[in-house]
Amino acid sequence: MTGVAFLLLIEDDDAVRTGLEMGLTRQGHRVITAPSGEEGLRLLREQRPDLIVLDVGLPGIDGFEVCRRIRRTDQLPIILLTARSDDIDVVVGLESGADDYVVKPVQIRVLDARVRAVMRRGERETSDSAAFGAIVIDRAAMTVTKNGQELKLTPTELRLLLELSRRPGQALSRQQLLRLVWEHDYLGDSRLVDACVQRLRAKVEDVPSSPKLIRTVRGVGYRLDAPQ
Amino acid sequence: MTGGATGSGTGGRLRRWRQGALRLTSLRFRLVTVFALVALIAAVSVSGIAYWLTRDAVLTRSQNAALNDFSTSLEQRASSLPDQPPCHTLRSTAGELASTSQGYQVVLVMEMSDGSVCVAQSDPRTFTLEMVPDALTEAVHTRRTAPADAEAAPFHLYWQRISMGGEPYLVGGAQVMGGGPTGYMLATLGPEQDDLDSLAWSLGIATALALLGSVVLAQTAATTVLRPVQRLNSAARRLGDGELSTRLEERGADELAELTRTFNRTAAALEERVADLRAREAASRRFVADMSHELRTPMTAITAVTDVLEDEVDSLDPMIAPAVQLVVSETRRLNVLVENLMEVTRFDAGTARMVLDDVNIVDQITACLDDRAWLDAVQVSGERDVVARLDPRRLDVVLANLIGNALKHGGSPVRVTVFEDRAEGRDDVVIAVADNGPGIPAEVLPHVFDRFYKASASRPRSEGSGLGLSIALENAHLHGGEITAHNAPEGGAVFTLRLPRQAAARTGEHAPERQAGTERDSRAGDPGGPDSPDSPDASEDAGAAHARGDRPADPADTAPAGGKGER
Repeated sequence: MTGVAFLLLIEDDDAVRTGLEMGLTRQGHRVITAPSGEEGLRLLREQRPDLIVLDVGLPGIDGFEVCRRIRRTDQLPIILLTARSDDIDVVVGLESGADDYVVKPVQIRVLDARVRAVMRRGERETSDSAAFGAIVIDRAAMTVTKNGQELKLTPTELRLLLELSRRPGQALSRQQLLRLVWEHDYLGDSRLVDACVQRLRAKVEDVPSSPKLIRTVRGVGYRLDAPQ
Repeated sequence: MTGGATGSGTGGRLRRWRQGALRLTSLRFRLVTVFALVALIAAVSVSGIAYWLTRDAVLTRSQNAALNDFSTSLEQRASSLPDQPPCHTLRSTAGELASTSQGYQVVLVMEMSDGSVCVAQSDPRTFTLEMVPDALTEAVHTRRTAPADAEAAPFHLYWQRISMGGEPYLVGGAQVMGGGPTGYMLATLGPEQDDLDSLAWSLGIATALALLGSVVLAQTAATTVLRPVQRLNSAARRLGDGELSTRLEERGADELAELTRTFNRTAAALEERVADLRAREAASRRFVADMSHELRTPMTAITAVTDVLEDEVDSLDPMIAPAVQLVVSETRRLNVLVENLMEVTRFDAGTARMVLDDVNIVDQITACLDDRAWLDAVQVSGERDVVARLDPRRLDVVLANLIGNALKHGGSPVRVTVFEDRAEGRDDVVIAVADNGPGIPAEVLPHVFDRFYKASASRPRSEGSGLGLSIALENAHLHGGEITAHNAPEGGAVFTLRLPRQAAARTGEHAPERQAGTERDSRAGDPGGPDSPDSPDASEDAGAAHARGDRPADPADTAPAGGKGER
């Protein structure tokens, strides 16, 4: 079954944790749970899950901090579970390295769809490679190297780079990227794209504040340029 | 002022200004009028009395001098005349009489023995017998009957003031007793008149000066009174405009200071009251917001479990299955309600934010319909390629509510018409949603946008939260637009959504930030325009994300809720 994941659910509320665990398990996923950030980080080290569903409002170290700590070592997908839909939560969460987010109360179907979409991003497809200056994208191995060194990209960042590199020189709108990478519908949140582009630039660009590879196209979206 | 002020700003301001000026001048005007009137009456009466007394004194003195001289001279001359003097003697006598220092002219009249009348004039050019008034002549000829008088005054001297050629004159006449001649005199009063005229002029000027002084005084008084009044007026206006902290400096102990104190007390009381009300309102809003927020956690757990239950319905005991189904559907409804409540609290608290984007209206409608599997039940017509700058997620909420409502109450086919309205300087996009239903009852029409309004108490509760149309309207208002409801002549209800093409001007959009908050999820199909975002300079550098993070915006998250229309 495609997209079935071994996922870690970090959620402090017992009822929510139980409910989501039941629902996700029924969708075919293997679920382990943690009631706190500390416990979650321990389980991550011990069990190596494919994906993390992370509540923002955790006691002790909060979800954003957990997210940042995970990103220091791991590039596995993180889906934020936020009780507040406040912009700040979403933006801070995306800056912390989350790949996607859902707002409580979330339907299991929705969460499942997001989980599967995230899992699909890591799947390899064609087996060619492309080089853009110092950046070499190996689509067979699903790796990106810069000056011969392998870059640690999350599946979402990798998929974004792949989608852009498949159409070099062509501007893609945020809505197109949301469909291609996140599999969101027509009302997808373009902040996901912006945040992911920032993170990707930080990793692939020489000077992230003046990008040469992933360019912003005013009024349209983003474009991957082969450096001259 | 009144409603008119909103209609035309200039006219209203002019009217207000004129009204203010009128009110102000009227008090000033009244003060000045009263002052001037008092001054006028005082000055005129004083001058009048002074003039009258002076005139009397001056005229009497000069008159008496002339008359006394005339009577004395006449007495002397008459006694020295022969018994029957010839006419020429009389003439010379008249000349002698007129040559005194008093400067009057004389006419002597005597009946001669032969029956003729001799008229002797000292200066026929200036004084003739014809100039003597008849009344005087008659009086002179009337004999005095009282013997005492006759003894005391042998000559009966009568006088009268006349005016000839605009000049005042004194005419006197007397008959010499015992068949003597009758003498008349004419003295000019010109010099006296001149004196009196100059006196009148002086008095007039004095009166005018007094009047002027009183007006100046009244103006000064009015200004001293009106300046505090003006200050109070502007303070009261500021208070009315919502500046509740407006206070005035309390000076002095007069009535105006008392009024100022009263104003300050009133303003303080008002401020306190408003603050109290605001605090209560904020508290109740916070309560609703907190409550909806608190409801989310249990709702999340329940929602997760109901999805599991729903999958199992088919395999459940037929007695249990309907109960489970009920729990599932009611949980969904509760979810919608909580979402809508949160959205409403955001509108009430004014924290609802817009995330603007250039949206192709027809594409968005199609996506909205496709997303909810309504494509078969709804006909979309009108201008394609109508693009407006608005919040696509909020437009989706509005469309979903209006169309869902039409489908539920009107039945299909629902007709959605899109057109642009550029009449009268507007630049609006209009979306009309018409259904085939029975229309909206007249008594319900004014309440269709009310929160939790149900058409009738007996009517079964629909699956809506009772907030959908209200939220749709709030979303339209946020864009600077409007939704109106009416019944079409051919039947059926029509909801008309009117949105300005550029919503940004009103909302103060953060142009470089394109943030579409949503928790809507991977639904299939996206006919939405792929050419959306304007690209931020901000995204060029990594620091921009921090700038965005500081924005206390709010991605109004009604998405799942908006799908269900209601009335």
